[in-house]
Amino acid sequence: MSAERAAEKKATTTRDGTLRGWLADRIGLEELERTIRAGQVPGGASFWHTLGSVAAGLFVLEAITGIFLATAYTPSVTGAWASVAYIQDQMTLGWFVRGVHSFGSSALIVVSGLHLLQVMLFGAYRRPRELNWMVGLALFAMVAVFALSGYLLPWDQKGYWAKLVEATIAGSAPLVGATAQRLIQGGASFGTMTLTRAYALHAMALPAVLTALVVFHVYLFRRHGYTPKWSLSTEAAAARAVPAWPDQAFRNAVVGVLAWGVVGVAVIARHGAPLESPADPTSSYLARPEWYALPLFQLRMFFEGPLEIIATMVIPGIVTALAFALPFLDGGATNHPRDRRRVLTAGALGLLALTVLAVTALAKDARDPAYAKARAEEKARTETARRLALAGVPADGNVLRNDPMYHAREIWDERCAGCHGLAGAGGEKGPDLKGYNSRAWIRGFLANPEGALYMGPAKIEKGMRPVEATPEETDALVEYLYAETGAPDADTGKAGRGRDLLSPKDCDTCHDFDGEGENDGPNLKGRGTPKWVAGVIADAGHPLLFTDRNKMPKFRGKLTAQEIDEMTRFVIDLKAK
Amino acid sequence: MAVDPPDERRSFLKLVTAGLGALTAGLAVIPGLGFLAAPGLGFLAAPPRGRAGAPGGSPLRVAGERDVKPNRPLHVTAVGPHDDAWLRLDKITLGSCWLVRAAEDGPIRAFSTVCPHLGCGVDYDEMTGRFNCPCHTSAFDLDGRCLSGPSPRGLDELETHVEGRDVLVRYQRFRVGTAKREPIG
Repeated sequence: MSAERAAEKKATTTRDGTLRGWLADRIGLEELERTIRAGQVPGGASFWHTLGSVAAGLFVLEAITGIFLATAYTPSVTGAWASVAYIQDQMTLGWFVRGVHSFGSSALIVVSGLHLLQVMLFGAYRRPRELNWMVGLALFAMVAVFALSGYLLPWDQKGYWAKLVEATIAGSAPLVGATAQRLIQGGASFGTMTLTRAYALHAMALPAVLTALVVFHVYLFRRHGYTPKWSLSTEAAAARAVPAWPDQAFRNAVVGVLAWGVVGVAVIARHGAPLESPADPTSSYLARPEWYALPLFQLRMFFEGPLEIIATMVIPGIVTALAFALPFLDGGATNHPRDRRRVLTAGALGLLALTVLAVTALAKDARDPAYAKARAEEKARTETARRLALAGVPADGNVLRNDPMYHAREIWDERCAGCHGLAGAGGEKGPDLKGYNSRAWIRGFLANPEGALYMGPAKIEKGMRPVEATPEETDALVEYLYAETGAPDADTGKAGRGRDLLSPKDCDTCHDFDGEGENDGPNLKGRGTPKWVAGVIADAGHPLLFTDRNKMPKFRGKLTAQEIDEMTRFVIDLKAK
Repeated sequence: MAVDPPDERRSFLKLVTAGLGALTAGLAVIPGLGFLAAPGLGFLAAPPRGRAGAPGGSPLRVAGERDVKPNRPLHVTAVGPHDDAWLRLDKITLGSCWLVRAAEDGPIRAFSTVCPHLGCGVDYDEMTGRFNCPCHTSAFDLDGRCLSGPSPRGLDELETHVEGRDVLVRYQRFRVGTAKREPIG
């Protein structure tokens, strides 16, 4: 055996027969250990230095929860909201996993922002760390793009409208705007490709690029090391140096657990992240961006019309350029804040401006009753949609289809709207049912039964005459009829007085009141109750109802019993409208 | 060799740091595992939504009674409502079956096309008059009995009856690969 072969053999055989030795030979475990042990923190371990690690930890948390969410999410216009509602309301701990992912992204922005400020304060962006400062800024921007692209994915009102505004802002950029907007939207307008693109960006492209940048960021950091506090001279810092593992790592872990705890507590306290009603492009939704974009939102308020671009592009562009150029603009002699007054003042003013803008936006909405009203309306829509989604969402994504009243409205439009009105403008061939059987409707009817809003359009021969009575008597008659509908808030005393007026006012010439007698007009017993309404829909020509004067078609046989029930509820519900 | 006090402290710190790291990782991963188990494991699953007309529930019309000729198996699809995770589908193809009738006006039987071996779709071979599985060559006669091949049991018969002129089938899926027939879903 040649010496070469022997040397080769030695290098590939296990040194001491243990698995550890085997692995150490192959992956260079010792070098790795040496590298880890070599990390020193000049000037001693500090909580100041924890923020970068905590940001990295939160990114891992986002990755883990993101992968879990991806197992249940579907990026399509018809399925996105349905799948997120399923995650949120039906899957085991789905609300928690989604909540951690959502609130974790906010925490990541906060911690990255604090990390950036700490680096600024310590002068850690200065020579020779200029490039790492720029990589860090790019990472921060990518975290923001991450958050913005994730925001759209549930395809709820909030995400849809916020993203629509952003895409339009991108579209307003000079020269490239139209192309940028088409790229974001995946076409001429918002649609399924908007979602698949945002999803591919959020779940594939950004994680890959961000991970690569983080690796580079950490590599550069390891190369240049920690920047100790400005008050320490290089020699003093070196004298106080401690190993990063475990001295600094322990502090990192403590702050990491703390950050995790804050996220976890927020998730539990608010039962996860909000999910509003499904995106409705026909609605007039009051769109507000997520908190981190509020300063930009408020800034835009100061620039109208063609000047808008100053707020959306020019100012953010200048600030970004200045931030990237910071290491070259600094010019301070040392890391001491005293020598970097200009930079730190500019940073502080920038932070103050962001805060003031955000607070202004929040305060303005808090004072605005229109905002409160819009929020309350959205809350009601959200509750309805989420409740209906518990039964599963139809393939077209329209969860409202699960609502029997939605179906009833479809039947109404198809079968009833040809003759009846619903808007208080009168029907074609029958009464307008806006507020049907409310006190106001009954009062109007008694005053003018053959009016345009009532039986007039039906053109019934020898119809009902207006009731002639004093205001008190009319009140009592209205209350009597209102009580017959089964209204729980009817005044029974007054209704009784109304009943006593039926004979004196000659109502009994055409109407019976006992639920048995057949006459020219409908028997008034239980008139307007669900049973009575169902009877009218089934067969309005029944001898106890409108008899042979009736002109309304029979719906028994045309509608199923269940559909008649739904229509009955639909008509009863009109009373409250 | 005496242990340096800072070294002892550092060993402890390492342990605590590793513990805190494991804690955070666990807090992220464990809820996620519950989440993954949700649709699959009964004890962690959300309560079933339950809905009239779920598969295996109500009989579905698959063919006209007169379309089924003696000794000429007819391939039909069962179309009906189905709940699938967040989806609530009113009309979807649930599966297919073979309708078999031995004699004119005789009773009609329905066999699922799902091969009990590994779930491929069995086809009817007019030449041999047998149902053949294209994947692993199990063969079944018109009564669904397994004649050859690896199938552990005969074709799964579905509950069927004639109502007026319609053939109705209660479509169901069964676990494959077992000698015993067990409904699933």
